[in-house]
Amino acid sequence: MKTGNALRSLLPVLVILALIAAVPLFSPSNRFLSLAISAGTNVIALYGLSVLFGQTGILSMGHAALVGVGAYAAAILARDFGVGFWTALPVAALASAVFAMIVGIPSLRVGGHHFVIMTFAFGQLLAIVLTNGGDYTGAATGLDIAGPVTLFGADMSDLTRYYLMVVAFVTAAAVASWAIIHSSYGRTLRAIRENEKLAASLGINVGRHKIGAFVVSGVFAGISGVLLAYFLGHISPSQFSSFPSIYLALMVMIGGARLIEGPLAGGILVAFLPEVLNLDPVQSRIVYGVCLIAVIMLLPDGLIGGIVRALRVAFSGKPKQEAERDAAPSEARQ
Amino acid sequence: MSPILAISGLGKQFGGVTALAGVDLAVEEGEILGVVGPNGSGKTTLFNVVTGVHKPSGGTVLFRGRDITGLAPHAISRAGIGYTFQQAMAFAGLGVLENVQIAGEHRRAGGAANPWPTPQALLDFVGLSALGGEKAGVLPFGSLRLLGLALALATRPSLLLLDEPAAGLNDRETSALVGLVRQLPGHGITVCVIDHDMKLMQMLCRRLAVLDFGSKIADGPTEKVLADPKVLDVYLGGDL
Ligand SMILES: Nc1ncnc2c1ncn2[C@@H]1O[C@H](COP(=O)(O)OP(=O)(O)OP(=O)(O)O)[C@@H](O)[C@H]1O
Ligand SMILES: [Mg+2]
Repeated sequence: MKTGNALRSLLPVLVILALIAAVPLFSPSNRFLSLAISAGTNVIALYGLSVLFGQTGILSMGHAALVGVGAYAAAILARDFGVGFWTALPVAALASAVFAMIVGIPSLRVGGHHFVIMTFAFGQLLAIVLTNGGDYTGAATGLDIAGPVTLFGADMSDLTRYYLMVVAFVTAAAVASWAIIHSSYGRTLRAIRENEKLAASLGINVGRHKIGAFVVSGVFAGISGVLLAYFLGHISPSQFSSFPSIYLALMVMIGGARLIEGPLAGGILVAFLPEVLNLDPVQSRIVYGVCLIAVIMLLPDGLIGGIVRALRVAFSGKPKQEAERDAAPSEARQ
Repeated sequence: MSPILAISGLGKQFGGVTALAGVDLAVEEGEILGVVGPNGSGKTTLFNVVTGVHKPSGGTVLFRGRDITGLAPHAISRAGIGYTFQQAMAFAGLGVLENVQIAGEHRRAGGAANPWPTPQALLDFVGLSALGGEKAGVLPFGSLRLLGLALALATRPSLLLLDEPAAGLNDRETSALVGLVRQLPGHGITVCVIDHDMKLMQMLCRRLAVLDFGSKIADGPTEKVLADPKVLDVYLGGDL
């Protein structure tokens, strides 16, 4: 892929993120900023999930657990070692990556649907361990994490500042995911997604790269967890159990896992839709369920993929597809 | 000169089925060796075991004197053995050029001068350069086979195993393929090819090995093997 084309694919996301960064100019409510911050932390995790699911074709139903590892790592580091936000970031990212590897090595060996079940079980298991961890994990009540987040001496705890910082992290996550997609590493992951047998015959160590993609998704999740923990000031096990994981998988599918805009769209939509439609939690679950089924059946590339295709059809009269797009069957005709 | 590939006593059981019953076979450097035999005689299994797709139940495979028995497929590819599957395949959802690009990114470093230094050069070689921008999944079957060949060549093998590369091709495509395969030894690539089409095999191979029920029943110059009563017997009423 030519660098020019690759760069152009990043541009729309950067423009959207620039607009999002300008939102505080319109003095939004605190409620809006809070929703946006938690959506932003989700989007960071979703960029990791898009590498795993969109590029490599592996679905994890335990992604929130990896976010939780990052969040608890940050809280425990702050409590026991007096470690602040900026040091916690790389350490928590590493902790989530290591957890991903520990879960990934046995799970990815068995392959396919087993992996989905293993990651789901891991999410449940982590919640149980955290709930029964006594004072160390704060049991069911969880842990508080106090402490200011400062950047170049400025206190970032103020809602607007934290919002801007999260937007910066989302941008970094989008650029990182874009860089992966357009690298030889990204091509390798797509090859595995398309046809493992062929990939192996061409010298690709399929098992190692699948574990690697899971570990990479863990890094994104860990960073997301630190941002979430410092934002909420309090974390508890239920935030990282299977339900939140399913939500993350749902968001990335609704947005479109293979497109750079997908995680952003999915994260924002799922966060704000109930707000906009004024739905209670039960109603919004129903709406998400229906959305998911509709996306799976009608828009294999997610919402953004669907919109892009519709625009193409509208402008050129025929659908044309690109490399990262399209849910093609994994094997060519026999 | 010692053979590039030395297979000895290679066996493979699938449950109760003996797909390979102790096969000995030597592939000489620079030749195009044909492997023939009736349906189910173990030809594909032979290739699958050599390339690590299946683990052998017994026997050894030496590649340039190195024991590669039971290694993983990616390791065998990197050792320098290319493989095109009987079922033509490519990365259907990805572009044709991207397919070839990927295939060239995981080979071992070093080696001799590359006759096809870029993915584009390889597409030119197999005659697909006009289709580089298409998605592999939309290629017509003949082009898909050629893309499969380009993918295997992109790994820069010194030995290439082709499993029925002409199956499903029309006459024009078949002769184009023959033209390509014949050039490979000149580029330092030894070829071992399976096919049922004896005319094609006569065009390509000076030497044939014949499998029947997982055992090698003949091995020698093509004309001699095709006149061998044992071989004629196996093919009685068949396609010879
Ligand atoms: N994965 C497998 N599992 C079980 N049995 C298998 C497997 N692969 C091959 N076999 C069996 O091994 C035997 C040899 O099959 P193989 O595919 O090697 O034959 P072949 O010579 O390539 O035939 P064809 O000319 O039809 O391609 C057959 O009896 C087949 O059913
Ligand atoms: Mg076969």
